[in-house]
Amino acid sequence: MATNFMTFGILLSLAGSVLSSLFSFISPKGKMHRVSLFLLALSSGSGTIAGVSFLLSGDSQWIILKSSWLFGAPLVLQTLSALFFVLLNMVACLASVYAIKYVEEYAHMYNVRVLDALMAIFVFGMQGVLLATSPFSFLAFWEVMSFSSFFLVMSDKENASIRAGLFYLIMTHLGAGAIMAGFLILSHGSLIESFARLALLAQTIPAPVLFGTFLLFLFGFGSKAGLVPFHLWLPEAHPQAPSHISALMSGVMLKMALYGFLMVVLSILPGVSTAGSLIVIVLGLLSAFYGVIYAVIERDVKRVLAFSSIENMGIIFTMVGVALFMQTQGQTAFSHVAVGAAILFTIAHAFFKSGLFLGAGVMVHAAHTRSLEAMGGIAKRMPTFSGAMLILILAAAALPPFSAFMAEWTFIQNLVAYLASMSFFVKGILTLVLVTMALVGGLALFAMVKLFGIGFLAEPRSEHIEHAHAPGKLLLIPIAVLSGLTILISLFAPFILHMIGFGDLAFMRAQQSAITVSGSSLSPSLIYAAFLLFVGIAFAMRLLTSNVKYERLYHTWDCGQPITSGMEYTATAFSSPIRFFFRMITRTQKRVRITPVIESNPWIARRAFSLELKQIWYDWLYVPLANAFLYTSTFVRKLQNGVIQFYIALIFIALVVTLTIAL
Amino acid sequence: MNAIFLTLIQICFVLLIAPFTVGLVRLLKARLQGRHGATPFLPYFTIATLLKKQMVISKSTSWVFKLVPFVVLGTTLFLVAVLPLVVFGGALASLGHFMIISGILAFGAAFLVMGGLESASAFGGMGASREMTLASLVEPAMMTMFATFAVVTGVFTVDAMFQDSHILTSPALIPAFFALIMIALAENARHPVDNPATHLELTMVHEAMVLEYSGPYLALLEYASALKLTMFSLLVANVLFPMTLATDISFVALLAALGWMIVKVVVVSFALALLESTIAKMRFYRMQEYLTIAFFISFAGLIFALMHT
Repeated sequence: MATNFMTFGILLSLAGSVLSSLFSFISPKGKMHRVSLFLLALSSGSGTIAGVSFLLSGDSQWIILKSSWLFGAPLVLQTLSALFFVLLNMVACLASVYAIKYVEEYAHMYNVRVLDALMAIFVFGMQGVLLATSPFSFLAFWEVMSFSSFFLVMSDKENASIRAGLFYLIMTHLGAGAIMAGFLILSHGSLIESFARLALLAQTIPAPVLFGTFLLFLFGFGSKAGLVPFHLWLPEAHPQAPSHISALMSGVMLKMALYGFLMVVLSILPGVSTAGSLIVIVLGLLSAFYGVIYAVIERDVKRVLAFSSIENMGIIFTMVGVALFMQTQGQTAFSHVAVGAAILFTIAHAFFKSGLFLGAGVMVHAAHTRSLEAMGGIAKRMPTFSGAMLILILAAAALPPFSAFMAEWTFIQNLVAYLASMSFFVKGILTLVLVTMALVGGLALFAMVKLFGIGFLAEPRSEHIEHAHAPGKLLLIPIAVLSGLTILISLFAPFILHMIGFGDLAFMRAQQSAITVSGSSLSPSLIYAAFLLFVGIAFAMRLLTSNVKYERLYHTWDCGQPITSGMEYTATAFSSPIRFFFRMITRTQKRVRITPVIESNPWIARRAFSLELKQIWYDWLYVPLANAFLYTSTFVRKLQNGVIQFYIALIFIALVVTLTIAL
Repeated sequence: MNAIFLTLIQICFVLLIAPFTVGLVRLLKARLQGRHGATPFLPYFTIATLLKKQMVISKSTSWVFKLVPFVVLGTTLFLVAVLPLVVFGGALASLGHFMIISGILAFGAAFLVMGGLESASAFGGMGASREMTLASLVEPAMMTMFATFAVVTGVFTVDAMFQDSHILTSPALIPAFFALIMIALAENARHPVDNPATHLELTMVHEAMVLEYSGPYLALLEYASALKLTMFSLLVANVLFPMTLATDISFVALLAALGWMIVKVVVVSFALALLESTIAKMRFYRMQEYLTIAFFISFAGLIFALMHT
């Protein structure tokens, strides 16, 4: 009975999204803005509750909807999809609450009616992807998600947005094409087989074809997840979208790609070859490293977050790749732990990255620009908001005791525990993973501290922030809730692992809960307690040893002259050592032009500084590729000679060749 | 109960000796450089004086500025309680996973950097940028170094690693030990990474960040940096002499541990003073070489350890 009721909750969330979209679309001039977003928040709220109750129920699947309309493929909720369903609905619920005020503030810029409608459709598409059980419905929902997000990226109708949107459209459709091709190969040309049947069919397919299919899926889902070198659209598209959409795209849509990949490799493909798993690891590490370097040196707050998403997805795919790799080596226990760590990281990332993007919206609104160089001073003017953001920033930097750290601990602890007992080859791969992840971890801390330090602290670098005031409750609450959730999921990490089917990694007693991996255990509550205890002791030490209370306010000492915000360190200056140390990779070009004011006197001069951040994948991979295409096409153009008989002959030859191949 | 007592003993011992370590290094350095030098107990007076002084807080700062000293000292206290410095088997030793250790160190560094940026002056920003670079590039070296220890000993808390009998016998740990020394120098802002004696020079890292702090806040930060120096000194010494730590709470054992702690602090201080008197500080933009060497030494140690197991 309870199950039926909760199944109804999930249907309600689907229907609510559609209804919200319709409401907003038919209403004149966005009058129903609040109603439709409220509806979306309610429906995704009910989806969250239903999803959580599924995870708590311990059932293996719930059939949500069965109808002949759906080509015999019912909508089904399973453990893995339920987890992603909960993440999606939770973030969507908070994002729609945030959007109520946020969109109103930008009402002059966006077409509110369309924006709200598309957002609800976008959420609906993602909900559908998670419930689909056949390639046909999966791809249909996938396209709903892709198209709605494509329009959302372009919603401010600026040139940069349109360019980013088109780029995104091309990449995502190449990816969708690859996924479709993969499904077609597996099912011998039928898209309406169920996934369960696909898994059976896949076992009869020869290994080389299977490897090709795997590569197609990897490209399809990898390009959606922003893996290097298919990531180019991500740092363009995510920042151009409105902030609550960026939060949904980075926090949740990337997870849809991960969900698709996990579903295909774990439950459809009959095992991945060693070469395949190594490719996943290499792409993952490459994304993590490349993403974090650019997260450090970027100066645009939303681009920093977008590159950080590439890095985080890289880490997650590395964990999945290691899991697949160890599977091929027969180490199922290791593999199991790695998948658990990847999922834990996914949960952590969904919350902190959505929160950070929502927060970035507030920052951008205050500074009237996305550039970090014009920010600063926000912490003093918006203490509550900056407090919530500080927690999210620390979580994103994978610092203990926050959530991402729990996942990294689980993974690396397990990796090091197994390291000594492996074969030579496996040792090499795992060591590479270990040191790269350690390097990425250090730089991620840099990127996040830069974001907070330059964006929030010290004196404001622009007039706008001087007059900015704290965000309203509707903007603040979603961010605060997400930072609270970030703490909660790290505190209850063992419980969450237990809930999603990794019960063997969790140790739970009435008093204490801990994550246990290969003999060692980590108790989140103990770390929190010890941490708070020692900071408390530090506080007590100050109170006990000194009775100086009075704090005299005075400007910062600066060699006797008054200090201005122009003297502060900027984001460019702050990240300069890293840019210098990694200049082999980033290839940034710094130009200082010195022009004397008077020709005869070289000492009094004007200096102009410019710094060009290069996108090496774009310059060295995409541009040559495009040039090669253009060059080849000049030869093909010779066929276009205007003689109609020649064209007819070509068509005829093409027909004959096609028929010969097909028959 | 014993474990809690051991931890309390360790915390008290290290808290008491920390300013002495800093003073001793300064004194020995002065003597080695032909100066007379101040008493090694001077830092106690410095801290006591700072605690009585009025605080001047920059108008540019926010609540983060006031949180920083407590978090920095709190994380350092966390490490002092968790690591095997004077005793083995303390109550919190189970929290001493190497990832937590490097994470908590990074946590403290991140807050110190925020404190440096808060002042809105170019000095603070410069120190912050440099400290952040060092902290983020030291982390991989530290993780790899600890991973080597974990692979050799088969355990994951630093406490258990140092108790393991392999710690003295495995040749694979020699590179890891050198990496630990390099990391310790970088973490504590000593030569060749930073010059702790300068003030208001463009070379400095740590001192630039705490420039705007005064009074009790500065005392907390100075004390935290003294604690960190003592902690790393003892850690380096304990790799070589793990038998000098107390494992039970008998009076004799604790007295011996106390004696050994003083001996270790004196010896390491002398080595540090000697090092700082003989080599020059590196240019900051050559720091990549130092950090790369530290990283690759620990990496080589890890590979060496893996080849032998």
